[in-house]
Amino acid sequence: MVVFPPTTPQEVIALILYIITSHTFITIIIFPGFIHLTLVVMFLTWYERKLLARIQLRIGPLYAGGPGGILQPIADGVKLIFKEIMIPYKADKPLFLAMPLMLVLFAALPFAVIPFGQHWVIANLDVGLVFLFAMTSLFPSMILIFAWASNSKFPFLGGLRSLFQQVAYEIPMWVSALSVVMLAGSLNLTAIVEAQSKIWFIVPAFLSFIVFFIAIMAELERLPFDLPEAEPELVAGWFTESSGAVFMVIFLGLYMKVYLMSSLVTVLFLGGWWGPAFLPQPVWFIIKTLIVATFMIIPRGVYPRLRVDMLIKTGWTRLLIIALANVFLTILLIHSGILSAWGI
Amino acid sequence: MALIDIPPDLTFVALAAVTIIGAILALQARELIYGAVALAISFIGVAGFFVSLDAPYLAMLQIAIYVGAIVVLILFTIMLVRREVGEEAKDRPQSGEGSVGLWLAGLLSLAVSGVAALAGPNMPSTPPSGSLPVSALGPTLATQYPIPLIILALLMSATLIGALVLAKVER
Amino acid sequence: MVTLVSYIIVSAALLGIGVYGLSVKRNAMRILFAIEIIVNAANLNFAAFTRYLNPPQVSGQVIVFYSIAAAAMEAAVGLALILVAFRLNNTIDVRKLNKLKG
Repeated sequence: MVVFPPTTPQEVIALILYIITSHTFITIIIFPGFIHLTLVVMFLTWYERKLLARIQLRIGPLYAGGPGGILQPIADGVKLIFKEIMIPYKADKPLFLAMPLMLVLFAALPFAVIPFGQHWVIANLDVGLVFLFAMTSLFPSMILIFAWASNSKFPFLGGLRSLFQQVAYEIPMWVSALSVVMLAGSLNLTAIVEAQSKIWFIVPAFLSFIVFFIAIMAELERLPFDLPEAEPELVAGWFTESSGAVFMVIFLGLYMKVYLMSSLVTVLFLGGWWGPAFLPQPVWFIIKTLIVATFMIIPRGVYPRLRVDMLIKTGWTRLLIIALANVFLTILLIHSGILSAWGI
Repeated sequence: MALIDIPPDLTFVALAAVTIIGAILALQARELIYGAVALAISFIGVAGFFVSLDAPYLAMLQIAIYVGAIVVLILFTIMLVRREVGEEAKDRPQSGEGSVGLWLAGLLSLAVSGVAALAGPNMPSTPPSGSLPVSALGPTLATQYPIPLIILALLMSATLIGALVLAKVER
Repeated sequence: MVTLVSYIIVSAALLGIGVYGLSVKRNAMRILFAIEIIVNAANLNFAAFTRYLNPPQVSGQVIVFYSIAAAAMEAAVGLALILVAFRLNNTIDVRKLNKLKG
């Protein structure tokens, strides 16, 4: 019997065992929480380098132990930890050191609401989707503060461009997710996935899937929306002045965002954890998420970069109009009763 | 976990501390940017209050709009109106002003709290059981208050055009 | 125990801080901070009252919804005004911005 506060050693052991095997602990620490997140993000960095290498007809990381350099992220991490953190002259030290940590915090926090399986969600919020978007809307301000705190021209310009780009593409993202919310009838991410049991939302909301995918690629600053990091122009964009552990934290934060957005696409459009029953539900989720991440990585090796004014104009005008048109289309679809065959 | 229950008093006091200290720092910090960050923290504290008041949708809206948009605008404007580093340090109140302001603020909050505490016995002390679902907000907005919604939309367009016209650089 | 009065006291404290900032500070940005703090205090008040009503109603939340949107718009216009004032007078000290000329 578990007693709190424990007094004898047997009670302490019983308490520890109870905590470790409780569902809350497993979801927060192991899956889909802390450990799984760290492992998948590290795997994603390796995966991206390998995939890009194969697209560009080279091999990629090869020597870092194991087959195909699978321990490369660990080697990168160790190298970056041992590098010196250089803080620029007259930079704002508290903000400079605190902002990368906040970036990772707000990139990892929305994972609490993403359902990896029917019962594998940390916090089944009724406003899960809005929580996710609220956390996403915090990134531009943190990037701007970090860029300003670097006290240097290139990061500041990169930070401003990054801010404009991310703010411009947030709205098509929200509006195209609105179609999905209308189809599912709830903001709860678990309910959205459960509403896709008969048909995945990519079929009735195909246009909004396209808009959402493009908007996400612009939010994550991946090519072809890469201008804030364009080397010929801005050295490395808003994280130019970061080095060593600061860069490692930012790097992890970026890839955590990639994983977050890919899993959001899976939840909203690709049916979450639904799949034939020979694999457990979280495995289907991760497979679908990795497929989405692959489609996010491939354009990086294929397309040229978009100019910043074309970028921002596309976000505010063309994408927004397509997303709004799809909202009306979804209203028509729902009211005409075509989708009632699939329980929507 | 059912074992360790954080008493609601503790969360309330913690949220109140974060909000009020954030607000004080927002006005008193030496640099404007520190003030803006403290203001953002204070807004997140208010969002925590909304969550404790069973309005989670409002809390997320508060974070998305206030911290995600207004604080960005404020940061932007701060960076555009800087003249030199250290200019903001001259914002100390002149003699006599600070104390008048403190007296005014103190008396005002004391008056409001006093009225509330005196009417205490007539005010509900425990919230009614059962809270509204999140889906109650949407239909109410659309059916009972449609005209304010449309006015809000028109007002937003007017604000957008107005801000654009104001901030335009005359060539 | 957390009662309605405790929320009102927090809201009143925020109001006091906002009024202090509004009346004492010279920097126009700090005055804008103070205005946002006051609006937040009012929103908190509305949300607290609507929770403690019996039976629970959603109209307070609707008011807070509008208030947040209106405050966003007012902040945007206010910041545009501060920008223009800075461009014309090269200062945002409100003591020096007290002439309507120019």
